[in-house]
Amino acid sequence: MRESKILLFGFNRSAIEIGTRLQKQGFSFTCIDNDASLLPRAKKLGFDLMIADYSDDETLLSFGIGEDVTFVFTLFEEDVQNVFLTLSIRSLDPHVDIVATTHTKDAIHKLQIAGASTILDPYQICGKRIYKLITQPEIMQVIDATIFGEADINMEQITITEHSPLNNMLLSECYPTQNYNMLLIGLHDKELKKEFIFITEGHNHKLDHGDILVVIGKSAEIERFKMDFSL
Amino acid sequence: MSAITSFFVRLAYYLDSSERYHRAKEFCRTLLEYQHSKLKFYFDIFMVILVVISVLFLLYEVKHPEELILLDAFIQVSLVIFIIEYLLRFWIYSDNHKLFLERYDYAINNNLPFSLGRTLLAILKKKLEYVISPLAIIDLLAILPSFRPLRFLRIFILFRIFKLFRYARSMKTFTAIITEKKFELFTLAIFASFVIFTGSSAIYIFETQQNPKINTLFDAVYWAIVTMGTVGYGDIVPVTTEGMVVAMLLIIFGVATIAFLTSIIVSSFQSKLVELKESRTFADVDKLQNYIVICGYGRVGEVVAKMLHEDGYKLVIIDNDESKIKLAQQRGLIGIVADASKSRILGELGVGKRASQIICATNSDELNVFITLTARSLSKQIIIIARVIKNTNKKKYFLAGATYAFSADETIGLMGAQYITQPISYAALDEMLTENTGVIFDMLTLHEHAYYANKPVESLKLSEKRLLLFGILRKNETPSFQFNPAPDFMLHPQDMLIIMGRKHHINILRKLNDQGSI
Repeated sequence: MRESKILLFGFNRSAIEIGTRLQKQGFSFTCIDNDASLLPRAKKLGFDLMIADYSDDETLLSFGIGEDVTFVFTLFEEDVQNVFLTLSIRSLDPHVDIVATTHTKDAIHKLQIAGASTILDPYQICGKRIYKLITQPEIMQVIDATIFGEADINMEQITITEHSPLNNMLLSECYPTQNYNMLLIGLHDKELKKEFIFITEGHNHKLDHGDILVVIGKSAEIERFKMDFSL
Repeated sequence: MSAITSFFVRLAYYLDSSERYHRAKEFCRTLLEYQHSKLKFYFDIFMVILVVISVLFLLYEVKHPEELILLDAFIQVSLVIFIIEYLLRFWIYSDNHKLFLERYDYAINNNLPFSLGRTLLAILKKKLEYVISPLAIIDLLAILPSFRPLRFLRIFILFRIFKLFRYARSMKTFTAIITEKKFELFTLAIFASFVIFTGSSAIYIFETQQNPKINTLFDAVYWAIVTMGTVGYGDIVPVTTEGMVVAMLLIIFGVATIAFLTSIIVSSFQSKLVELKESRTFADVDKLQNYIVICGYGRVGEVVAKMLHEDGYKLVIIDNDESKIKLAQQRGLIGIVADASKSRILGELGVGKRASQIICATNSDELNVFITLTARSLSKQIIIIARVIKNTNKKKYFLAGATYAFSADETIGLMGAQYITQPISYAALDEMLTENTGVIFDMLTLHEHAYYANKPVESLKLSEKRLLLFGILRKNETPSFQFNPAPDFMLHPQDMLIIMGRKHHINILRKLNDQGSI
């Protein structure tokens, strides 16, 4: 995974946040914007910023779209730019993962049509969070402290390999959390279309290799689990 | 110091220290003056009813002069109430003892001679100020005609209607307009009286001999005003050519004057109307308790307001963009166009008193921090939730006193990076945060007699109920949060269970939990 090429279009605060996290995880990425005045700021923060006219297909191809680019983020403040860019990239490469941000509700649908793989709506997330803080402050504090926070509780996905003892087991039989201090939140089944199913939906599911489990727990516990089931 | 002076000084000090005196005065002020007091509201309604009934009785009396006993009694009672009200207002208008002590202290401290006469004169002047204020005059005129010797002033009972000005806020707007446009109205009055004077003297000179209907100057003035007001009854008409010319000129000037007058009042009224509406909204806010103030009705504010409104929370929204507030009002929310950076506004909205939470969701860090700081200075208890724009500023929010502060970009960064490495756990996170699929986080608090209190976690049988226990919050222990407790973990009363699952499954558990207490 480390060699995947990542492009971040639009150099702004969201790009800086994503970039910082990617840097920490050891990914290389390229930021692209058409505003040359942002260069000094990018340099100060230690980011590679390329100034280019992204509305031109030739330019996009020269970045490697359609070849080795696997992830693209469109992070512009303007929905018009995001939609256009998503559409341009999708037309050049039907397989690339496009993460688009949006700032209005109407644009979500447009981005979906344009071919975005997933859409991040900062305002919706922010609004939802404030709402939760007011209605259920305790829960939000817990989530903030665990999943988002510094506490050593993480969310992780585990792909079931061919040799794992979990292979061909029923979910009810292997309810794996009893022996490990972690929670199985849900899973992704490649046979089902839906991306993610919560465990609480109650499907007693047969696990195949290639299925992906999502767990929350201490990193050490998750590692132990992975080791024990040769994942 | 003479004995009289020392008597007055002692009296003033006595009043100043008397708690009963202060309480009584404070009560009267709440009853009569304080804009937002409930007592005043009821008192105002009572007085309005009294005024209306007494005027109706007056109208009844016109045709039925033979006096009814009941009627008479009512008039006497209402008169007494009016007199008491007048005297109370007279009393609370100023604090005599304060004025007295101020002057006395000033003289003592600066080694100046203290003049009793001058001080009493100042006190008298202050009270006189009240007596000659327009509203006090109306009050007095409403009282006087009820005394038998002043029966001829009966028509002044109609002044009681003017008393309504005191009790209705919108009525006050009219008085405000008149006082505000004093200069314009004065200019206009001078112009109008000039035209009337010239017109009436001209017609008087030209027509007294020829026109049998114009005999006195009063007739001439009456004609001039009727003509000028474009009413023209036609009871007096000019018969000479000169008179007709005067009439024509008078009509032209009359139309101009009336147009001028109308425009002054309309324009002033329109500007007042906005204020009036606003004060109405403020009055609405005054009635609320435990509400949430949202500063900034941008995208974030909108999303939050919509969700909270649907849940039945009481909201007050401020934004300095009129169009956004209009949008909020169309959605049935209380919206006020105001600059939240003015600390006065937050105070007026009850931040620090009746508001329980405030959300800073404007799109500027400066403004958000400022609101946070202002709100915190107004109240120590209020919960402040702030949206951070630039993540580097986050610390400042907590310094300013925010309860929670977070930035959307941070979440975006986290989720974006997660998407690359772990797309499925990203999807899980996304659904947990947005709750689009109906699986939600909820909290179950174990009260003293709850069914599950003092039982182990496994007794909850959660996987059967299709629920997932995320963890347990035990507030008086550190660490307060116990993630994924073991099956034999004992549940205590006051524990908060954080549970994931569908709403109705959680409700089933909640019901079971409560059954234990029955």
